[in-house]
Amino acid sequence: MSDKDHNTAVTAPERTPERSGSTPIGERGVKAIFLRSLVQIVRRPITWAGFIGLPLFIFLFFASFLDKGLPTRIPAGIVDKDGTSLSREITQTLGGMQMVDIRVTPNSYTEARHAVQCGEIYGFFLIPENFQANLMAGRKPEITFYTNAVYFVPASLLFKTFKSTAVYTKAGVAMNIVQMAGQNAEEAAPLMQPVNISARGIGNPTLNYAIYLCNSFLPAALQLMIMLMTVFTLGQEIKYHTSTRLLRMADGSIVKALFAKLLPQTLIWMALATFLTVWLYKFNHFPMHAGWGWLLLSEYMFVLASQGFALFVFGLLPNLRLSLSVCALLGILSFSIAAFSFPEESMYPAVAIFSWLMPVRYNFLIYISQVLNGDPLYYSRVWYAAYIVYMILPFTMLWRMKKEMLKPVYVP
Amino acid sequence: MWKRFKHSLKGIYIVYCRELKLIISDMGLLLFLCFLPVVYPLVYSLIYNPELVKDVPMVVVDNDRTPLSRELARKIDACDQAWVRGYASDLSEARRAMAGRDCYAILEIPEGFERSVGNNSTAQAVMYCDMGLLLRYRGFVVAATNVMMDMGAEILTQKIDDTVPLVGTVADGDLLPIANINMGNIQGGFDTFIMPGIVVLILQQCIILVIGMAGGAKRERRTLVRYDADNYEPSIFGTMCAQMLAYITILILPAVFMIHYVPLIFSFPIAGNLFEEMAFLLPMVIACFGLGFAFQGLVTERESVFVCWVITSVVFLFLSGMIWPRYDMAPVWKALSDICPSTWGVEGFIKMSSNGSSLAQVSHEYLMLWILAAAWWAVGWVVQLTAVRPAMLRQQARNIIIFNRLMRSGYFGGKKIQNDRTDDRQ
Repeated sequence: MSDKDHNTAVTAPERTPERSGSTPIGERGVKAIFLRSLVQIVRRPITWAGFIGLPLFIFLFFASFLDKGLPTRIPAGIVDKDGTSLSREITQTLGGMQMVDIRVTPNSYTEARHAVQCGEIYGFFLIPENFQANLMAGRKPEITFYTNAVYFVPASLLFKTFKSTAVYTKAGVAMNIVQMAGQNAEEAAPLMQPVNISARGIGNPTLNYAIYLCNSFLPAALQLMIMLMTVFTLGQEIKYHTSTRLLRMADGSIVKALFAKLLPQTLIWMALATFLTVWLYKFNHFPMHAGWGWLLLSEYMFVLASQGFALFVFGLLPNLRLSLSVCALLGILSFSIAAFSFPEESMYPAVAIFSWLMPVRYNFLIYISQVLNGDPLYYSRVWYAAYIVYMILPFTMLWRMKKEMLKPVYVP
Repeated sequence: MWKRFKHSLKGIYIVYCRELKLIISDMGLLLFLCFLPVVYPLVYSLIYNPELVKDVPMVVVDNDRTPLSRELARKIDACDQAWVRGYASDLSEARRAMAGRDCYAILEIPEGFERSVGNNSTAQAVMYCDMGLLLRYRGFVVAATNVMMDMGAEILTQKIDDTVPLVGTVADGDLLPIANINMGNIQGGFDTFIMPGIVVLILQQCIILVIGMAGGAKRERRTLVRYDADNYEPSIFGTMCAQMLAYITILILPAVFMIHYVPLIFSFPIAGNLFEEMAFLLPMVIACFGLGFAFQGLVTERESVFVCWVITSVVFLFLSGMIWPRYDMAPVWKALSDICPSTWGVEGFIKMSSNGSSLAQVSHEYLMLWILAAAWWAVGWVVQLTAVRPAMLRQQARNIIIFNRLMRSGYFGGKKIQNDRTDDRQ
């Protein structure tokens, strides 16, 4: 938007018909603004969608979508170029595994690759020609399995299944050889796995994707909606030039105006955060090792921090569209930059520092520490304090918001 | 017949030109059309570009203190995925390190670890992993499995040699080598996995946000948005076509940048043919415009697109089958994913760009995209006919009334009217 356009933008306050306010002009004070803000929320379908409909849909969508925890019966193929009793045994073992569903048995690598490219299967197991003969003669034939790593989750699960099948096969062969040399089978059995390291996932032993993703993605979705709606409702005041009346109702005090304007929203968000917490940990029985009080405190502080951050953005860019764009950009980016899937210590350092930018990062860290791992509160103290920084942040921009609200300029 | 065709073609051309002018004069739309497809893929790629999670710190609690237990720790440390940060004297010290985020896994080696190997039973060790991020966990498990198999093979050979020396000649080293090959994403990197799909999602969201915002602007008061965005000709279908062509004209360069140059910059797999990919994405783009025209029915204001649509990106990401395979979705979500253009676009595009599928191999997705394009255009047409155009006409009538009233009250200042008068005099 050029300066010229900016200047020619409609600047006359109160000239356009009043749309979003409903209280008489004479009413003043926090209560009146609170009621006015509440009426504004109740009257428009878009605010219903933004405050209640969309967040609830996202909550229910994720919980229902990831309900199964992990995908099973992944379509796969086996290329058996040997066709001996041993190779058939491997095929049967593989077919009996819970994770795979042997859908095709192509004759060659090319056919199998074609099936992968068409998306029929996510991977295949290849038994080479003369496999049994070479194995028995000690010529070390190689078993190869191919996984389509373009699909991360199915590929990882297939990898695990294929690998354990190959390892079982290997152990069986070793057993055979040892037995042929005259060793007792029972004595030889522990030899097959002399060292075992069992991995225990703390809090989520079954690798449940719902537990993994809901706890990070849902607060991030909530943060996105909080930021968008905060900026949207405030921007509307400027767009429709009702901000001057808002300030008048607050006797010219920006703090009073913002507090009363945002209070109904804060209450809605807190109710949603409470619902989310209860929904996840009480209803869905996700692992929960924290005290309810501290957890809810974290969620409430998170709501306030997100609002604070949005206010700060709005103060920096009091243009409705630009500040919404920035909030949308940051809100969507926080699903990635807040390191929910790719750890921040593996990112480039120059990128990784931005992972600390958004409030949801601290929510996630508190969740891992308190809820998932059940660590003492001491270890999350800094992250609780970080929330407070976000709450203080908008106070640095109050002067600017007041200036803009007194002389509202709408730039489309 | 020919005359009618020519006439409607001319109408389309006029709408096209006006729409192009409108887009160029609207910063909001330009930001979506040029900034979003250029900056988003770059930012996302930069975030994930290190691809692999390496050297994640872990702590060892060695209660055995034997050469074998030390060898185990050493071997895990030598793995790409893990880094043994140090030894903890007991489990509670290790837990403190984990709570302080100094390590993400604890390897506990119990007393008698080496003795178990000596007396022909399995030596057990336990690894406790932080489950905050599955990529870290995955790395630890892969490292532990590799070390376990490596040490197992070594001990096995040694044992066989000890007990039945003759077999050693037969079973020397690895009896049966096992190889794994990652197709499409050779090193199994995260960026390569997620970006091709994200790029297609960005394209879809960009189109729908732009169309939604333009639709919102058209339904708002002209005095507010300061320009007359009403732009149509009698045929609704013709108007839709012309508007789509105008947007594609501007979007084509950012789109090519996104689907061709971003993978080049970050060296993602480029196994597909660019022209086939473009041909594949064409029906998706058309379907997205149809969806966008239908979405206009819900948008009554420029800025409400942000509130209504931005969050859906996450939903589309999950419905696309990139994270959770489509064959295993619950029927209701599968049905929902069937009607999203992004689902088929993502599915086909990653197959083409990463797995090197030809257009013929993704013919199912291609066909589905054309069907969706037709269906969404039909929905879009109905919405335009019943909701958007009547609203616009109403708005236009109101605009004229307001405009006249404001004119009379001198809202636009005396300057413009005076200019008009001078023009008259001349």
